[in-house]
Amino acid sequence: MNDATEIKAQIKRMLVENLMLQITPQEIGDDQPLFGPDGLGLDSVDALQLVVALDKNYGLKLSDAAVARKTMQTVSSIAAAIAAK
Amino acid sequence: MSLRIILITGANGGLGTAIARAFLVERPDNFVWLGIRQGGASTEHLLAENPGRCRPVGLDVTLPGAWQAAVAEILAVHGRVDVLVNNAGRHDDALLAQMTQESWSRVIAVNLDSVFYGSQTVLPAMISQRGGRIINVASLSALLAPAGQTNYAAAKAGVLALTQSLAKEVARLGITVNTVCPGYIDTEATAGLTGEARQKAQASIPMRRFGRPEEVAAAVRFLACADASYITGSMLKIDGGIL
Repeated sequence: MNDATEIKAQIKRMLVENLMLQITPQEIGDDQPLFGPDGLGLDSVDALQLVVALDKNYGLKLSDAAVARKTMQTVSSIAAAIAAK
Repeated sequence: MSLRIILITGANGGLGTAIARAFLVERPDNFVWLGIRQGGASTEHLLAENPGRCRPVGLDVTLPGAWQAAVAEILAVHGRVDVLVNNAGRHDDALLAQMTQESWSRVIAVNLDSVFYGSQTVLPAMISQRGGRIINVASLSALLAPAGQTNYAAAKAGVLALTQSLAKEVARLGITVNTVCPGYIDTEATAGLTGEARQKAQASIPMRRFGRPEEVAAAVRFLACADASYITGSMLKIDGGIL
């Protein structure tokens, strides 16, 4: 497993554990939208938890709301932001 | 034994000191950070009475940077914040027609902006911990809206609304947010009421006496305890039956 794949797997585990999702990490697609009815269905409170978890686990600071929205679209976009940090 | 970390703003005032004492007496594993404004009264007596169990931290509650620094210091020492008591407050009464903009802004800043800054600053730690308690000290003025207190009543009513709204936002994260509304309490805030004014105030209280700071502190301590785990977005009056 390369680094990018491993980071995506970590992010999926983090999503399931932190947000107490009733699915397995493997059921989350790399490019599946995290928010909205067509995706994983996360809401604004989940986003709040996700911002805190990304800061705690990866030192990724998403204090700007627009940047946070763009970054947290999918597992792939989060992984890209972590890699670019 | 893991410590329960409590931050109290305005901890060098009469009410703040009583709240700190209530937590220190309650459990040996409570550690209290005494948020104090520079130039305020000393907390030496609390520190001397409770060596190693409380510590002062400089905190002008109207400055977001001061909140960041204070909470960073607490996290650096203890790694967590379990309870925030937003107790700091001030009033500066005048009829609206004669109220200065400075008075309006200062009272809103100390009583309402502070609750926003404080809550926002501790939330990441509480979210990360999957739990926390925020207890805001409002006032009966929020409900009575007395003449001469447009600034103070508006600020405290804002605290009530903020509490209810925030409580809904963070309920599923294990964080509770509640308010206490003290009426006439024997503190420096009511020390100016003397003679006839005090008698008149006392006559308006069904219990015919001012409350003691310890009686407010007991309510704050309750809202922070495990038995209050299902209470959030609530307002508890401590007013001797006025309302």
